[in-house]
Amino acid sequence: MAVGERAVGRFRELVDDDPREFRIHGAVYTDPEVFVAEMARIFERSWVYVGHDSELPAAGDYKTVVVGTQPLILTRHEDGEIYCLYNRCRHRGAVVCRQERGHSNFFRCRYHNWVYANNGDLIGMSQSTGYPDDFDRSGYGLVRAPALAAYRGLLFVRLAEQGPSLAEHLAPARRYIDWWLGRSPVEEVELVLPPHRYEYPGNWKLQVENGYDGYHGNYVHLSWQRVLQLSRESTVEEIQRYRQSGAARGLANGHGLLERPGSLNPNASWTARMMQRYPEYAEAMRGRFSEEQLVAISARRNIFIFPNLYLFDTHIRVIMPKAADRTEVQLYVYALKGVPEVINEGRFRGHERFYGPAGFGAPDDIEVFTEVQTGVHATGHGWNLLNRGQHRERIEEGEWVGHTTDEAPQRSLYRHWRRMMAEA
Amino acid sequence: MGTAATLGAEEAERFLFAEARLLDERRFDEWEALFTDDGVYLVPIDPAKEPSRSISIIYDDRRRLGERVFRQMKTPVLDQNPPSRTIRFVSNVEVAPDAADGIATVRCHQLIAEMRPGGPGQAGLNAPRWFAARCEYRLRRTDGGLKIAAKKVVFLNSDLPHYNLSFIP
Ligand code: FES
Ligand SMILES: [Fe+2]
Repeated sequence: MAVGERAVGRFRELVDDDPREFRIHGAVYTDPEVFVAEMARIFERSWVYVGHDSELPAAGDYKTVVVGTQPLILTRHEDGEIYCLYNRCRHRGAVVCRQERGHSNFFRCRYHNWVYANNGDLIGMSQSTGYPDDFDRSGYGLVRAPALAAYRGLLFVRLAEQGPSLAEHLAPARRYIDWWLGRSPVEEVELVLPPHRYEYPGNWKLQVENGYDGYHGNYVHLSWQRVLQLSRESTVEEIQRYRQSGAARGLANGHGLLERPGSLNPNASWTARMMQRYPEYAEAMRGRFSEEQLVAISARRNIFIFPNLYLFDTHIRVIMPKAADRTEVQLYVYALKGVPEVINEGRFRGHERFYGPAGFGAPDDIEVFTEVQTGVHATGHGWNLLNRGQHRERIEEGEWVGHTTDEAPQRSLYRHWRRMMAEA
Repeated sequence: MGTAATLGAEEAERFLFAEARLLDERRFDEWEALFTDDGVYLVPIDPAKEPSRSISIIYDDRRRLGERVFRQMKTPVLDQNPPSRTIRFVSNVEVAPDAADGIATVRCHQLIAEMRPGGPGQAGLNAPRWFAARCEYRLRRTDGGLKIAAKKVVFLNSDLPHYNLSFIP
């Protein structure tokens, strides 16, 4: 949908990039016109995460996704390549696939029986004498998305014809993605299906802002901290001290992360603990990485890739906006390849304990999203503050680096959001 | 008192109704005590998957079940504050004798109506939700009466997105 020029001018005003008091207007969460523009100007223009290589292991595998408002099919063709096709019959517009995922070498439109190969080619038309002899089928295949690209198994599409390459888009976050994969000594992950799914009556950016927010943990997750104390894993005091360590980083292109310090001390990092407990894991990791790399890999991070992807230690998180006040989130837990099975099972059980719609932590986060969504309808002041730590952040190698509880990554999010919403 | 192999439909029903009442009345510690020490509570996403190698909505051993109840009753949770009101309907009870280990398998359907009350205009509150589920219990006779060795709750929409399911389905 086209967005008028007047509206685009107004979007610029919704982010106040003041050097001392960075703030955003509540309309970014509530205004349906903002939402429509976000779909058109961000989700249908930017690189958007759509899946992982391991979801389509064999020729014929497919999954359907929605990017912005557009239905798409990702397929693995017999040539081994992955194709991203618009899920829209070239005849009169019906979807050609209704399943979420499956296996098929072709897609048959159910309306008038046109048939497409899973690379999009039109290979069959019913009662074809109704079309002239020189009808050129090659011009009527399912349309391919303008750009599909992968980085280390992560698949992204871009629905705009023009734009930066995936490498350019990911560049500021690339080393963090590499380190995230490095907990596997073969640097590969495999998704465990089906994913956790939850939805909440609130805006999608509330999930983005929260995933690397180091400020809320001692309040929203006090309940979780008490559970850990009950199980004698940590005291509340120890957890709260840990939560002061590390950094919050705002990156270019809207990316950002929350980071805890890396360490080869088994008491101070999960990776080091697993290496101590499982000598075969330690051997594989030391065989692959230098000491310096191991320290970087062992830092625990929540990495956000603009606009819809988070890389967590247990899962790949996909944020799917549905309306200004409705969002679905999918958590794809993954196995680290090349590690003892017991390590992955421990990760799976640890994930279930905190995450998902009945975990001991994530539902508390979702609860506060609904509280913000309700509160920002009060327009008395109208602005939310994202200025925490602005006075103490530093710029290092093009990153805004703040204290772990600071809002540096959120500021990066909205700087890029404004660029995409208000600039050509 | 018969053996588990002779568990009658009526006794099974009485047990399930009493269990539903404990949950509806939020007497979670008494509910937890219905489980055997090796009891398992499972709410799968895909019931065909082996839970240890996949991801479930809930996959609690007895220890984690204890944490779940502790969290609800003794910690400052947000997701159950205000708490859910629930009304559970239990029906289609079938008992399949299972001679092994003094265990009987009981299948039933449950419909859980749930809502959290709150002030006007509060997103997420004041919205009744309905959950239809196929349930399977493995019950064991012990000196302390019938106990739950395993409870599995498979929602009709187990693989669709859910808002907060922290009310203990
Ligand atoms: S709409 Fe697909 S064949 Fe007619
Ligand atoms: Fe949180």
